[in-house]
Amino acid sequence: MIISLTVNGEVRDVAVEPHYLLSDVLRDRLDLTATHVGCEQGICGACTVLVDGQPARACLLFAVQMEGHAVTTLEGGAPSVELRALRAAFHTHHAQQCGFCTPGILMTFAAYLRDHPDCDEAGVRAVLGGNLCRCTGYGPIVRAIMAASAALREVADV
Amino acid sequence: MSEREAYVGQPRPRREDHRLLAGLARYVDDIKVAGALHAAFLRSPHGHARIVSIDVTAALELLGVVTVVTGEDLAEDVTDLTVAPPIEGLRPTSMPVMPVDRVRFQGDLVACVVAADRYVAEEAMERIVVEYAELPAVSDMFAALRDDSVLVDEALGTNLVARRVHRAGDPEARLAAAPRVIEAEFHQQRQTHAPIETRGCIAQWDPGREHLTLVIGSQVPHPLRTQIVRRLGLRDSQVSVSSPDVGGSFGQKIALYREELAICALARRLGRPVRWKEDRMENLLAACHAREQWCRTRAAVDDTGRILGLTLEMVEDFGAYCFYPANYISEVVGIILTGQYGIADYGYEIRVALTNKCGVGPMRAPMAMASWVMEGTLDVIARRLGLDPAEVRRRNMLADQALPYVMPGGETLLDVNCAETMETALDEIGYAAHRPHDDGRYLYGLGLCNVVESTTYGSRFYKNSGIGGSGHEAARIIVEPDGTVSASVGMAAAGQGYETTFAQVVADGVGVRPDDVAVTLGHSDTSPYGMGSRGGRGATAGGGALYLCAAEVRAHLLRLAAHRLGLNATDGLGLRDGRIVWVRAGGSEETGLDVADLARTAYFDPLALPEGMRPGLEFYRTYDPPPMTFSNSTHACRVRIARETGRLEILDYLVVENCGTVINPLVVHGQQAGAVAMGLSGTLLENVVYDQAGRNLSATFADYTIATVADIPAIRIIARATPSSRTPLGLKGMAEGGVMGAIGAVANAVNDALSVVGAQVTCLPLTPMRLHAAIHDGIGRAAQGQEG
Repeated sequence: MIISLTVNGEVRDVAVEPHYLLSDVLRDRLDLTATHVGCEQGICGACTVLVDGQPARACLLFAVQMEGHAVTTLEGGAPSVELRALRAAFHTHHAQQCGFCTPGILMTFAAYLRDHPDCDEAGVRAVLGGNLCRCTGYGPIVRAIMAASAALREVADV
Repeated sequence: MSEREAYVGQPRPRREDHRLLAGLARYVDDIKVAGALHAAFLRSPHGHARIVSIDVTAALELLGVVTVVTGEDLAEDVTDLTVAPPIEGLRPTSMPVMPVDRVRFQGDLVACVVAADRYVAEEAMERIVVEYAELPAVSDMFAALRDDSVLVDEALGTNLVARRVHRAGDPEARLAAAPRVIEAEFHQQRQTHAPIETRGCIAQWDPGREHLTLVIGSQVPHPLRTQIVRRLGLRDSQVSVSSPDVGGSFGQKIALYREELAICALARRLGRPVRWKEDRMENLLAACHAREQWCRTRAAVDDTGRILGLTLEMVEDFGAYCFYPANYISEVVGIILTGQYGIADYGYEIRVALTNKCGVGPMRAPMAMASWVMEGTLDVIARRLGLDPAEVRRRNMLADQALPYVMPGGETLLDVNCAETMETALDEIGYAAHRPHDDGRYLYGLGLCNVVESTTYGSRFYKNSGIGGSGHEAARIIVEPDGTVSASVGMAAAGQGYETTFAQVVADGVGVRPDDVAVTLGHSDTSPYGMGSRGGRGATAGGGALYLCAAEVRAHLLRLAAHRLGLNATDGLGLRDGRIVWVRAGGSEETGLDVADLARTAYFDPLALPEGMRPGLEFYRTYDPPPMTFSNSTHACRVRIARETGRLEILDYLVVENCGTVINPLVVHGQQAGAVAMGLSGTLLENVVYDQAGRNLSATFADYTIATVADIPAIRIIARATPSSRTPLGLKGMAEGGVMGAIGAVANAVNDALSVVGAQVTCLPLTPMRLHAAIHDGIGRAAQGQEG
């Protein structure tokens, strides 16, 4: 069957079977490989994308459910101001080592920082609990997100 | 030399980050190969069974299925893996690429489907009909070592695959004569690496060139190639191994596993590219496990807590198959156990058992248990004798003047500052004011763990230990015609930041800017044959080889520069950020020449070269590190345990560390904190659980829990580094010691807290259930007037 969905701002028609996962369709049919698959069970969070602007596990969605919806991946067209701030802070704070879990964390917090401009560390930690990282011990990730949040507030104040 | 080390030591953010953060990284499964077929493996649902029959007819009928193969089919194409190094007490083992008639653990390979895509391959897998005759399984290593046990590998006639004994001095005599003999037990649970990127590979056979290309996330591209050519009957020149970005490895991506070999064989057989991506359940069930070890120490002590003699008894569960010599992991625990303590009379006995469980291999700090066992033993001694644990450590610790010290395990300890790291840690954690106590809701404890981390193993270590193999590393540096520097080494990264840190090393070695150094890794054709990434060898072996090679590049460039300047010697010339300068007191003066000028001469105007100098600028250099380099550290933490729930909280955690010269503090800090986090995760949460029939009860991330952000406390890292006297740049290595220290520090803190109620734990992980039971057993015993 053919589904029509918006991916990174472009309308795409894709031939899929009903049991195809969104994560597989993004990666294998649309060549958008920034979305990583770590567990296919919704636990690790590496495959997190935005569906209509909200974080969602691409491995827990069937592609057919995306008919008429908008999906944003890390490749996503013009990056949001939140994503740009996160990328800069992740680099400065050495918040990724192997980088495999990173796309899911970036997508999660691009939405979180947009919706919570005044977030505190406890809030960030609570949300980050949904992403597994095996390399960093999370400390640098928390610091990077807090730094990105502070940088965004500074920009907003100007 | 004085102008060197300008970039080594700088906390430079990583150049790798751009592609990772932009979503442009290329992990194995991101790489497209036109026409590639997809493989899926059918695995045994039983812990131990005879394969009676396999019927693949229905699978082959499914549209899109290309072939289905069994162990019998592949046996024609692939020779068995025999692990039989000449090590006393080690029994040789052998295994085919896939089992032919018997599966030995749940998750063992039964058949492989190759199809147009993975969805079809998995559907076909469900159509394969296998008749099994279930056999009794043994999933406990102590049971496996009993005479009446089921045999995991019938060819061995025993499950005792390795038994190793070592003696220095006469520990038994010391134990017999000692005023006190104190025993302590330690049981570390089975764990697994769980990189967030599972295993996977793409194999392509070029029938015209008769050449195999394997794309695979690997720590060791060249040794992996050696394995492949041996098993497939090819020559080294017929195989290329390419390791792209790797989503974590932690020791899991070293061995050539059976799945990967089967994919290579199938690509050759079919003449078409074949790819395989492991799913998470396969990874937890059947990739590689680690760490399941039991230890008992017996210490002969005097009344002051001084250890007069020590023995270690160790049992390790190696699972169903040996991908490594079975003594390899536990032996290092035996060798380094005594660490920074002066114990002349020491012995160990190691027994390694086969069981009907997944095979095991090294996991980040495979020798991690050593620190917990030694430091836990010291704590037990202190508690039994009513002494201060830090004081017992001081009384046994080698004085700085005693270094270098030949440890009773045979290796030489030097360039460590163990007293300094411990005293600093005691100050920082507030040791003097601490007493274990109970405020009615919580039990409070403090734990110490001194760590001597064996980081880099030279060839002499492998020779001495009988393990076999080489510890050398190889570097190649090319100054390209435009003056940029291309550097390579036989290591492969999985997040360690080599592209950044090795560029800093090469920049200083040659005298150029890091931005002018490209570091390319992970391809067996373009990197020199090296031993790859494992242990803590990256900086010392890889960085050391590159630095030595870079020094040769510099000397060559300076000779060429001198000739261009009309000089007959290089005296007074230097290389700074790619420019040839006159080195003057208090500064330097430009000569007007730079590396690009010299490169143009070397490549395009060879007649302008000094006499005897050949055209081109390619350099190759190997380096064999000392037998063993050591870093050291002290971990200290304060914890509290809720009496009602057994919940453990880490209130403060710090590491005082000496890893030698630091190439990039940002990267090193990241590695050290990451290692502590992995150690804490293993100590608190992770547990591979099998039932008695050999069924794995922990093959999802919901069951095999690894630490989330909520589980890892802030980690304070305090540097007290001193350089190594025996390596280039004074490098030592790191990234495993954090695991070692975390286990011991937390376990010791927990036992300090539990001592308030007369309880102790000897088994990991330290889950709330285990701690709750220990607290209430302790209280119960106290109520009955028994001793803890």
